[in-house]
Amino acid sequence: MAFFARSVQRGSKPLSPHLSALTRRITYTPAVSKPESAAMAPDPDAYSPNRTPVAGARVQLPEKPEDVMEVIVDGHPVTIPKGFTVLQACEVAGVDIPRFCYHSRLSIAGNCRMCLVEVEKSPKPVASCAMPALPGMKIKTDTPVAKKAREGVMEFLLMNHPLDCPICDQGGECDLQDQSMAFGADRGRFTEMKRSVVDKNLGPLVKTVMTRCIQCTRCVRFASEVAGVQDLGMLGRGSGEEIGTYVEKLMTSELSGNVIDICPVGALTSKPFAFKARNWELKGTETIDVTDAVGSNIRIDSRGPEVMRIIPRLNEDINEEWISDKTRFCYDGLKRQRLNDPMIRGPDGRFKAVTWRDALEVVAEVLNKVNSQEIVGVAGRLSDAESMIALKDFLNRLGSDNVLCEGNGPAPKADLRSNYLLNTTISGLEKADAVLLIGTQPRVEAPMVNARIRKTVRANQAKVAYIGPQSEFNYDIEHLGTGPQTLLELANGSHPFYTTLQDAKNPVIIVGAGLFEREDQDALFSTIETIAKRANVVKPGWNGLNVLLLHAAQAAALDLGLVASPETIASSKFLYLMGADDISLEKVPEDAFVVYQGHHGDRSVYRANIILPSSAFSEKEGTYENTEGCSQWTVPAVPTVGDSRDDWKIIRALSEVAGVCLSYDNLAGVRARIEMVAPNLVRVDEREGSTVPFEVKPKVTQQLSSTPFKNAVENFYMTDAITRASKIMAQCSAQLRK
Amino acid sequence: MASVVRGVLKAIKEKGVGGFFRDVRDEGYLNCIFDGNLLQTKIHSIGATLVGVDKFGNKYYEKLGDTQYGRHRFVEYALKSRYNASQVPPEWHGWLHYITDHTGDEVLMLKPKRYGVEHKENLSGEGDEFIYHSKGHALNAKQRDWTRYQSWEPKKN
Amino acid sequence: MSFMMRAVKVPPPSASLEEARHRVFDLFRSACRSLPTVMEIYTLNDVVTVSQLRSAISSEFRNNAHITDPKVIDMLLIKGQEELSNVVEHAKQRHHIIGQYVVDRTGMHHGAGKDPSTSQFLDNFYTSNYF
Repeated sequence: MAFFARSVQRGSKPLSPHLSALTRRITYTPAVSKPESAAMAPDPDAYSPNRTPVAGARVQLPEKPEDVMEVIVDGHPVTIPKGFTVLQACEVAGVDIPRFCYHSRLSIAGNCRMCLVEVEKSPKPVASCAMPALPGMKIKTDTPVAKKAREGVMEFLLMNHPLDCPICDQGGECDLQDQSMAFGADRGRFTEMKRSVVDKNLGPLVKTVMTRCIQCTRCVRFASEVAGVQDLGMLGRGSGEEIGTYVEKLMTSELSGNVIDICPVGALTSKPFAFKARNWELKGTETIDVTDAVGSNIRIDSRGPEVMRIIPRLNEDINEEWISDKTRFCYDGLKRQRLNDPMIRGPDGRFKAVTWRDALEVVAEVLNKVNSQEIVGVAGRLSDAESMIALKDFLNRLGSDNVLCEGNGPAPKADLRSNYLLNTTISGLEKADAVLLIGTQPRVEAPMVNARIRKTVRANQAKVAYIGPQSEFNYDIEHLGTGPQTLLELANGSHPFYTTLQDAKNPVIIVGAGLFEREDQDALFSTIETIAKRANVVKPGWNGLNVLLLHAAQAAALDLGLVASPETIASSKFLYLMGADDISLEKVPEDAFVVYQGHHGDRSVYRANIILPSSAFSEKEGTYENTEGCSQWTVPAVPTVGDSRDDWKIIRALSEVAGVCLSYDNLAGVRARIEMVAPNLVRVDEREGSTVPFEVKPKVTQQLSSTPFKNAVENFYMTDAITRASKIMAQCSAQLRK
Repeated sequence: MASVVRGVLKAIKEKGVGGFFRDVRDEGYLNCIFDGNLLQTKIHSIGATLVGVDKFGNKYYEKLGDTQYGRHRFVEYALKSRYNASQVPPEWHGWLHYITDHTGDEVLMLKPKRYGVEHKENLSGEGDEFIYHSKGHALNAKQRDWTRYQSWEPKKN
Repeated sequence: MSFMMRAVKVPPPSASLEEARHRVFDLFRSACRSLPTVMEIYTLNDVVTVSQLRSAISSEFRNNAHITDPKVIDMLLIKGQEELSNVVEHAKQRHHIIGQYVVDRTGMHHGAGKDPSTSQFLDNFYTSNYF
């Protein structure tokens, strides 16, 4: 090698600095004799550890220079905003400080003492998570003092921690394991008996092994701060200290699953996932949740053809790093009640499995016999944009325009995008200081939005008012009324909350999509617009008038123009249900031919004449638009089950058999077609705000009815085909609903 | 060998020749006459104390005194035709291998009720029907065909 | 490795159609003779019978009944010989045999001819979701 390098050096080609540094070390020629290679030698700083912020975090420095300060971490100066803690300063400097109790989204406890660092002129090591950084502070993270402090803390933590990693579900992704490897001593001196703690029953989702708990209190802080339930707490003192529910009580929060992620050890683990898999066996697929309209970012962990668990993925704009229990635990529904073969209902009323060729031919034959106006297509709650555009194109080619998406009510208004979107955006809700919820219970309809509102309430003491049926909130609300009567009072300014709304800097009105189902929705929305106009909710730079949708498919369906009225079902002769399980099929004529295309044998299959199995959201690539109008893609994590096919492919194949072939035959083609109809759907992860002046909206002559608002979601845990098939969700709704 | 002869003589002296032969038949010596291992154990157990019998019927003997060191604890298997060391349940294993002085019956009292599983002997080499075949294996007749999901069953309506 | 050599060796070309025909019958016969072994080594007793396998093989032969060029027949013979030796030498696994000769009956012809009346999309769709 040295010979080779030297021979290269003698050649005329200029050397790269890297190679020349190499040769300098290997050859015996002193570097000083070659000034040009000495000049190319890297400065000693390049050998110091990586100085990029931990996990690629970006720090936004304040504009004013007096709000910025400089501290010195391990001899390197870093610039940080004022108010940062020592730990945050170290993170900016690229030094990862071990920690257990500190969590960036929770309040600071400072009780695990793992983050001890040495600060110059301080007599003792300092808990960096709780110590504010001061200008010019000299922080040392790799001195013998800091190392010894960590080792000591780790030894204390491990004193009472059971050595049951081989049977612990956290094994492999355990902070304590990792940090004891990285920062712990190689032996302990503890020979006494370890303490043990009785396990608590926190319900069907969270498994507790309380002996493993290291009292970091992250779960306690999460429950009281983010989830808003005062269920968990710390009991006892000293070595008798333990986490528990004060009385025997289940944890009734729709966000309880997040304590599993937050727990740095194996004290709180997932009950359904217990002893199912090890984290290194799993393949993670970063995708999107479809159980509500929020579109939480999730990672599906799968092993072979099986979804093993679902965990959240960081997205500051949507779900931060939490997900709801429904999102997290609905996955066992993906393994139950699956449709795996095309089936035809025979004359005896029984289903018989057939091949795709036969099934499609039967459908095509029926299609050719019916009148084109009697063909109706219904997209379900979980449909992706690709399949909806395919369904719409297919039915349009057959001469029918009766395509609708369930949940959008009798007369969907799809003309203006801002009429059905959460215009403020979920992260924008943090700026709000007065919130009016109309006919919506975000806690059950969209827990992630609710978490955001709660965060806002905690941070800026925003006032929240609510109109709708009696319901439970995890922040203080003012219950104004139950029906449209209160809206009228607000609209004419006689209601006291009107002043609050008017005085607010960033007022927000959130309207539930459950109101779409009401007969007087036009009048309702125009009243709400009157309130918005009078209270100055929509102004330049702030659009506070929002609609909170319920299902993953709704926004995309409205964008794509699936706006037929459900009334058309009553006169249909051919009904194409694309995963539509929540639409009332009572009015379907007896002689109508019903095709059910979907992935679960849920409600509508019992009326179907033919079943075409399709893939679930974990098995296909699809575009979903969330309630903010932000489109996101799902990515297949597991293969489809049995003989099922992707939704749009089924429709594309059927269109060819029926003789009205659609023009696209790959996903790119479908997306190109979507771009023609609704270009925002192909711009992934972008929000396109739209503010339309109230004047352009048509006049409404409808009368408000006085019927009070109803709950849009009866059972939080079971809202669609997947969650209804899930055993865990059934357990939850049996045990956790009051 | 001398000890065996002494043991036999002692037994004859105690019970008489007829009694000795009756004992020989009752104790199953005739069954193992063709198997040297068993016969040796049998002969070895003359004069030994029976420490315990486990639930499979294996007998555990201890013979202190002039026995060679390391051979004073031994087992007489219940099965005379097909015996192997894995038939010794774990509670007796420790005693038999001088790991502990607690006999199997004493150790058995410590056995956890809730999750303690029954001892099973190792059936390797005893034929295909005894061996574990993974699912999908051609010889596993029970799990020839399976799915990781449960499909919807059309009910008659 | 003598059997490998045997498999690789190419016999002299058939002089006439008659000779090629004889060689075909020879191959069929040797295939039929290997069937009991095949049943044994792949434990096929509970899925198929010897006569079913035999008819599967004969239909493979009949697929090419229209060919009269001795050179083409020779080529097919070599392919058939290769397939047979693969099967007999346990170069395949049980599910290969079941998939190719019991369930699908596509045998040596993977990716059968395309139906001209339908599009490539539809053909792909009928076979699998992934294309």
